[in-house]
Amino acid sequence: MSRTDEASELRFEPPGPGSWELDAVHFPRPVTRYWSEMHPEASLKGVQDFTRFYGMLIDALEYQYVNGFAYRTVRPLAETDVPQRLQRAEEVIQGKLWREQLRDWDETVKPASIKAHKELQSIDPSSLSDEDLVDHLTRCRNRHAEMIYQHMRFTAAAMIPTGDFLAHVGDWTGLPAADLLDLLRGTAPVSAGASTELDHLIASIKQDAAAQKLLESDVDPRSLLDALRRQESETGAAALAYLNLVGYRLLDGFDISGPVALELPDVLLRAIRAAVAGNGAESLIDGDRLADISGQVPDQHRAQFDELLEEARLTYRIRDERGVFSDIWASGIMRRAALAGGQRLAANGRIQDAAHFVDAGFEEMCALLSDADEPSADELARRFEFRASHSAKEAPPTLGPPPPPPPDLSGLPPAAARIMRAIDITLVALFGSSEAQHDVETLRGLAASRGVYEGPARRVSNPAEFDRIIKGDVLVTESTTEAFNILLPLLGAIVTDSGGLLSHSAIVAREYGIPGVVGTREATDRIADGARLRVDGNAGEVTVLE
Amino acid sequence: MKQVVPLEKARDDAIFGSKAVGLGRAIRDGLPVPPGFALAGSIVESVAAGEKRAIKEVAKRVKPLGGPLAVRSSAVDEDGAQASFAGQHLTLLNVPSSDELNAALSEIWWSANSDSAITYRKRVGLFTRPSVGVVVQALLNPDTAGVMFTRNPVTGADERVIEASWGLGEAVVAGIVIPDHYRVDRSGRVLERKPGHKTVAVRSVPEGGTVEEQVPSERVARLCLDDDQLLELNQLADRCEQVYGPSRDVEWALAAGKLYLLQCRAVTRAGL
Amino acid sequence: MRGVPIEALRRVPLFSDLNKRELQEIARLFKERRFSKGETVVQEGSGGAAFFVIEAGEAKVFVGGEERSILGPGDFFGEIALIDEGTRMATITASSDLLCYGVTYWDFRPLVEKNGVIGWKLLQRMAKMLRDTRGVEDVSQAAGNGRESSGSG
Repeated sequence: MSRTDEASELRFEPPGPGSWELDAVHFPRPVTRYWSEMHPEASLKGVQDFTRFYGMLIDALEYQYVNGFAYRTVRPLAETDVPQRLQRAEEVIQGKLWREQLRDWDETVKPASIKAHKELQSIDPSSLSDEDLVDHLTRCRNRHAEMIYQHMRFTAAAMIPTGDFLAHVGDWTGLPAADLLDLLRGTAPVSAGASTELDHLIASIKQDAAAQKLLESDVDPRSLLDALRRQESETGAAALAYLNLVGYRLLDGFDISGPVALELPDVLLRAIRAAVAGNGAESLIDGDRLADISGQVPDQHRAQFDELLEEARLTYRIRDERGVFSDIWASGIMRRAALAGGQRLAANGRIQDAAHFVDAGFEEMCALLSDADEPSADELARRFEFRASHSAKEAPPTLGPPPPPPPDLSGLPPAAARIMRAIDITLVALFGSSEAQHDVETLRGLAASRGVYEGPARRVSNPAEFDRIIKGDVLVTESTTEAFNILLPLLGAIVTDSGGLLSHSAIVAREYGIPGVVGTREATDRIADGARLRVDGNAGEVTVLE
Repeated sequence: MKQVVPLEKARDDAIFGSKAVGLGRAIRDGLPVPPGFALAGSIVESVAAGEKRAIKEVAKRVKPLGGPLAVRSSAVDEDGAQASFAGQHLTLLNVPSSDELNAALSEIWWSANSDSAITYRKRVGLFTRPSVGVVVQALLNPDTAGVMFTRNPVTGADERVIEASWGLGEAVVAGIVIPDHYRVDRSGRVLERKPGHKTVAVRSVPEGGTVEEQVPSERVARLCLDDDQLLELNQLADRCEQVYGPSRDVEWALAAGKLYLLQCRAVTRAGL
Repeated sequence: MRGVPIEALRRVPLFSDLNKRELQEIARLFKERRFSKGETVVQEGSGGAAFFVIEAGEAKVFVGGEERSILGPGDFFGEIALIDEGTRMATITASSDLLCYGVTYWDFRPLVEKNGVIGWKLLQRMAKMLRDTRGVEDVSQAAGNGRESSGSG
């Protein structure tokens, strides 16, 4: 059965009342059953948390899955809750309550998450008995759900100050968001794949002749990473700390279907080599840009401009940190546990391939490890194949009735309107794509990150293809998530189909200082692997050179 | 308080550092660790400061080991096994004898107090003065050495994976050779023997330090472990797991017919 | 005896006005450190942990990749990063085998706090550096103050 036949045989019914929109930005491919069972509830809880905290006039953004594709709807607020929310919005603006969340994140939540993940990942699931593995899977799953909730809880903390800044300064100067976002560069090192641990590893290697020699050898990547870790020197300890921090993070996406860093040692290693070579672009805070833009702000707003910029810069990094340290890590740990289950079932012939185990729902995983008959090996293989051969491009962009017109913010009290507008701008910037027309050889999208770069395109649709990326490549993909920032040292530029200026691809390109063009809609359809490209992040154009 | 103790007596990691205490525990549990001494952070500092009394004491206590010596820093870290303490991980292989020890100790002390070490400490929130203990052991002159995973780290299968080469384990650990690759199941049955390309052996040199030696051509592809030795390694894996738990990463050496344990850590690797 | 010979410190301008007892106290805090020819002693941009006095050998000072000066026995460097907890202002490389005496932050700070004379000398040195960077001529400089280190750190 051909791909299109199968897709057209799929039925797409709205998963509930209201109008639903496809989210191809976060979920460019169908998700696993495990994810679709778990994500909606955990995510909803987190969103409701932040709409309440920030006095927003919606109840939630809700996700549901149809044939594995992600759809999103806005759950409206009950009338009776409105007064309370309006009151809360006032408090949020007055008290800059996002700072409270930021403090909570930095002082409590983030360190606790890191600690818990390190503990959980210190258990080797393949050494556990079937019974103990079921227990371990349960712990990992519960942790994962908790972390999805945590990720969503902190969503507005980054969005509101950034959106607030864009809204006001956009009004005052008429400058496009892309220009204004330049002023936030350098405040989100995690988005650029940075960490104390990576800095330490690079510094150690640079002072360690034996480690440099090792890094240059052509020992196979897995053994090389092992050897680095074993060095009885600062390099060894630094490598261990770095691998403990990033090793079990997903390289892309949120679902347990994607590889974690340690599964692609070649990619990890090349990224380390590139980082040591220090050819990563510097992301510097540009004093001239600041003077230029602030000069365009009318005098009476100058003080507020400074204030808004400060808040945005303070919170910008939460955008990626909240994923990287929460569910992107927890998902990787869950994946590892699931693969351990898959390995033993594949070894005794119960399933065809260890990798298929991730396509079992959670209850199914536990049942399979207790010798259940269902699901069959063929059924799991079928689900695995389905995910690998379909993409969100085949799914209808909306389901259910057309969305209502956006609410009229002018009738709202100022604080509430301000918050809603801030969220609105960031949502558009996150999910939006360019309307620009393409030429025969030039694709147009949103100019997400400045600079011009020429290099070979690397068409990557599937996270498992990341090991094809060679230093200097232009990544061409549907969309990316914050997890893949580990690969940045390898890339010369980024081009995506979907996503706006606040999508992860855009943020990451800006932070790392490489050209980025996002929201082209069609890059993955029109650019062939290996084609030589010119990516112009100033004009928002991608030209195929040959 | 005694500042220099035989390894098996090192129990307090706030004084001797986690490496010394780990090795001490291994000895007490009957694992074949090469004998040696643990030096407290305080005496390492005294030696680095040039204190004659300390220098004499260390030389005297360590003399029974003879020479050459393997000298390793033993981090006194506050965060447990997972921390990466900058500068506290220096290994000086083949210090010729206890007389040359003070230069080694001074180097180790400064490594723990270097600009990068202190900067790193501050970045991870530690503003206190670092302290670094030292482990001094007799340096082996092994015929064969290498590493072993007590469970297959790639497939998760319940078998030992062993990599081995001629001479000091450096050749395997530093990626200098393609080592022999063996798989052995838990009962000791050999599942796979794949010869490597062992062109170089790292050997210690009497005056101090190590050297890379060319391996004669007939030994380059010859298996460096026989089945009896693999059986011994399997038994060592068993004992390590009993003491430390499953999924261990072991560094070992065979010298004059005896099997030694050099390091035993948790595995950090994802499969598939 | 612990520490370094007081003769080594006596000729360092920073310590030149101290009496023997004071010098002995300070000498106890220092430790020998050796660098081989070509080794980087201090790296520009890195955090700082120690202050050094050169006993024997020669070192070159580079700022932004450009050689600025040469240091030799009696010269000292590294105090600035220890004082303001900032980064090293220059890269210093051993141009021959080098023997230094060093003291780390935990001993340096109490040393300066306890000994006002040393503190005053450091202030004088900083004042000179400040004037130098502003390009203002200092008359007393022209008169000569004995051997002053031109290293920075």
